[in-house]
Amino acid sequence: MQMSRLGTAMDEDGAGHALTDFLLQLENYNPSIPDSVVAYYLNMSGFESQDPRLIRLIALASQKFLSDVANDALQHCKMRTSSQMTQSTKNQKGPKEKKYVMTMEDLVPALQEYGISAKKPHYFV
Amino acid sequence: MSESTEKIESACDARRKILNIAVSTILLETGFNASDKMALETLTEIIQCFLAEVGNSAKGYCELSGRVEPVLGDVKMALVNMGISIQGIEQYAARPNRHVIQAPQQAFVPRT
Repeated sequence: MQMSRLGTAMDEDGAGHALTDFLLQLENYNPSIPDSVVAYYLNMSGFESQDPRLIRLIALASQKFLSDVANDALQHCKMRTSSQMTQSTKNQKGPKEKKYVMTMEDLVPALQEYGISAKKPHYFV
Repeated sequence: MSESTEKIESACDARRKILNIAVSTILLETGFNASDKMALETLTEIIQCFLAEVGNSAKGYCELSGRVEPVLGDVKMALVNMGISIQGIEQYAARPNRHVIQAPQQAFVPRT
């Protein structure tokens, strides 16, 4: 009983230490989103912190989340275009370089995987 | 009254524009060349909601434990509770081709 408790406490401590160490690294690190913008949205919901590292951590977490979603959407896009390309190249040679465009068509299934249901308004051009 | 609400709206717009740029930057980093206006706006809305939700949740955890200022644990709890994985965040932070957006300029406040 005591051993298992000690074990879980150690585990939590280990994970906590990793993030604490990471927080120290954020001292001189700039995420893509400026601190002031993130701080503004956090303040709007009542979160007020004097520690800029926490704000940077949140900015980084949101960036990572978005990057994961975008990566998923890119895979969808690649699959869709490759199936279209094979159909079209049977008749004629298509352009070599591919351009990937983020559309709702790819974004909706990517978001669905993260539990966000996005719907396109019906008659919206 | 209408003037003050207008001011707030324009302030929101300025921040939202920067979020828009940030989203575009992340999409570009991911490998997209272009984006639909609608997809971009959807992602911007998502990131804005994300920030607001993390703030709200972290504040909730902080106040629940009788503190005034949020600490790392509160933010962590908020992220975990939202189901956001912070597993590879260190690797993500150290990714090679990252862009940093300039912080917005402080508007000059005229003296009255």
